[in-house]
Amino acid sequence: MMASAGKSYCISFQHIRAALPTITPFVTKTPVMTSSHLNQLANRNLFFKCENLQKTGSFKFRGACNAVSKVVASNQNQTANELSVVTHSSGNHAQAVSLAAKVQGVTAHIVMPTNSPAVKKEAVRSYGGQIVECEPTEQSRVDTADQVAKKTGATMVHPNQSPDVIAGQATMVFEILDQVEKVDAIVVPVGGGGMLAGISIAAKELCPHAKVYAAEPKNADDCAVSFTRKELTPLPAPPITICDALKTSIGPNTWPIIRDHVEDVITVTEEQIKAAMRLVWERMKLIIEPSSAVGVAAVLSDKFQSLPAASHQNVVVILCGGNVDLDNLPWM
Amino acid sequence: TMGDLHNDGPDKVTVENVEKAAERLAGHARETPVLTCGTLDALAGRKLFFKSENLQKSGSFKFRGAFNAISRLITSANQNPPPVVTHSSGNHACALALAAHQLGVTAHVVMPSTAPQCKKETVRGYGGNVIECVPTEQARVETMERIAQQEGAVYISSSQHPDVISGQGTMALELLRQVPDLDTVITPVGGGGMLAGVSLVMKALNPHIRVYGAEPELANDAATSLAQGKRCPLSYYPETIADGLRINMGPVAWPYIQEHVDDIICVTEDEIKNAMTLIWQRMKLVVEPSGVLGLAAVLSDSFKAREQEAKNVAIILSGGNLDLLKLPELLSL
Repeated sequence: MMASAGKSYCISFQHIRAALPTITPFVTKTPVMTSSHLNQLANRNLFFKCENLQKTGSFKFRGACNAVSKVVASNQNQTANELSVVTHSSGNHAQAVSLAAKVQGVTAHIVMPTNSPAVKKEAVRSYGGQIVECEPTEQSRVDTADQVAKKTGATMVHPNQSPDVIAGQATMVFEILDQVEKVDAIVVPVGGGGMLAGISIAAKELCPHAKVYAAEPKNADDCAVSFTRKELTPLPAPPITICDALKTSIGPNTWPIIRDHVEDVITVTEEQIKAAMRLVWERMKLIIEPSSAVGVAAVLSDKFQSLPAASHQNVVVILCGGNVDLDNLPWM
Repeated sequence: TMGDLHNDGPDKVTVENVEKAAERLAGHARETPVLTCGTLDALAGRKLFFKSENLQKSGSFKFRGAFNAISRLITSANQNPPPVVTHSSGNHACALALAAHQLGVTAHVVMPSTAPQCKKETVRGYGGNVIECVPTEQARVETMERIAQQEGAVYISSSQHPDVISGQGTMALELLRQVPDLDTVITPVGGGGMLAGVSLVMKALNPHIRVYGAEPELANDAATSLAQGKRCPLSYYPETIADGLRINMGPVAWPYIQEHVDDIICVTEDEIKNAMTLIWQRMKLVVEPSGVLGLAAVLSDSFKAREQEAKNVAIILSGGNLDLLKLPELLSL
């Protein structure tokens, strides 16, 4: 029973279960990898779900596929190429929506600020996304997306508050439980909270004894603050962190799920994040972006280490993405 | 004699030796995943299957050969093995140190003073004893012989021993299971241990599979040898960013390569950098320059001209040990 005391969430386990066959034809079942060295450092059995190896380089492809599929399914009287989606994002979600749309024959309009890095615009174009530029302000992004929606009839796909997106992200839990025999804890980076919320609902149903931990940059700690205050407390200003994918605050759809399901939120410093990123690159030979390193840093942190080892022996860590600018690495 | 494990094993490596090696490696070496990438398939015009040995223990495929060789040494010494010794600044040093540590054997590794600090530390971190020497071929060999004498240690070559070749061949057994309808395999070639082991297994179990080596043009001794029908080592130590492939193809690996390999494709430094960039950006894998040779070769004009039929091509990504600070020099951004 997902709702408690009369509360209901934006998604239920049924949404997630339905998302699995929907996205399976499109997404990669990513491997789970292990490292003896990191196990020694963490004094735990760590299982890394490699969503950096997902199509478009991040887990966001799952949610995007689910959302696009829903658009196609809800408009049966139109052919795919008459349909379009729109989103405003310059990051992983933009690339994910672009490819998710392309593989289903749908047009993707991606609203991006004029000052987005060229490499990000190039990535979106390479996945078939059509860029609509806007001014580099929140208002302009939202307004431009609205205009595109009105003009083209495109359906808006929000990066982390859309129920279809949240349900799509959660599908990785089915795979994890196939791949890892025993799961005591799952550590999930948090930005807008789409992945965290989705995983929380799925885990509660599929592995209720597993504890879900959020991992967040200290410099962007709206989830931690909200969790402590028991009240949604978005960041007051754009945060300064190398985790460019975690700069958004959790929102009204993801917050209640996080509040009620997550065991705790672990925050880590920029230095811890950089060190964890370098550790994974050097010892696991996997390219992960700073946002992915947040989960690794969390599991190595004093706070996590002080949790009882016996009940936190087998820990799944989500390596959520690997889209990083090779020209601009934090240790250079 | 002190030295080499020459007369302790079979003279000619067969598939049976490789299958036994696989049994020894089970539970110790990883059966590494085979990964795919739609973008690279489109660029190559065929399906590519990347055997990810950068994810192997110690960061390269060399762990397989080292572990197999030391295991056999333990057996042949009636469970009372001597220490082992080698000279290497690269992947074999790390592989030997780790394998020895796991098998409870002491490892002495002679490394040139100019070897990257991170590699010396990695070898020490794996329990290996590092002995530094001046950075010449002669000094490496002399220092190693001195240590072998002093410590009663047995020399384990990085590529020129049957047990090492058998160990490397286990990748071929895994590929045959992991890639249905495999028609082509390509591996980098330096000393030739991997190419020898993989090619002999492929041709024994499925002679229709074509096997290629991939080599830097700047270190093209194996390609020249194959063309000339005799081993033609370079008389100088070549410069190439593929630092693991600078050594000459050796005399033990050569006969297997001559008999079983269909061709060796040479690639330019720019092609290597381009392949590095593609793998790092599109596949999100840390692979060292030597490790990307197979992809560079598959994308080259000469491969495309030669291999119009190949549909399912396995590429071995041999390792991922490199100094991250050097990355900007290795990519074409």
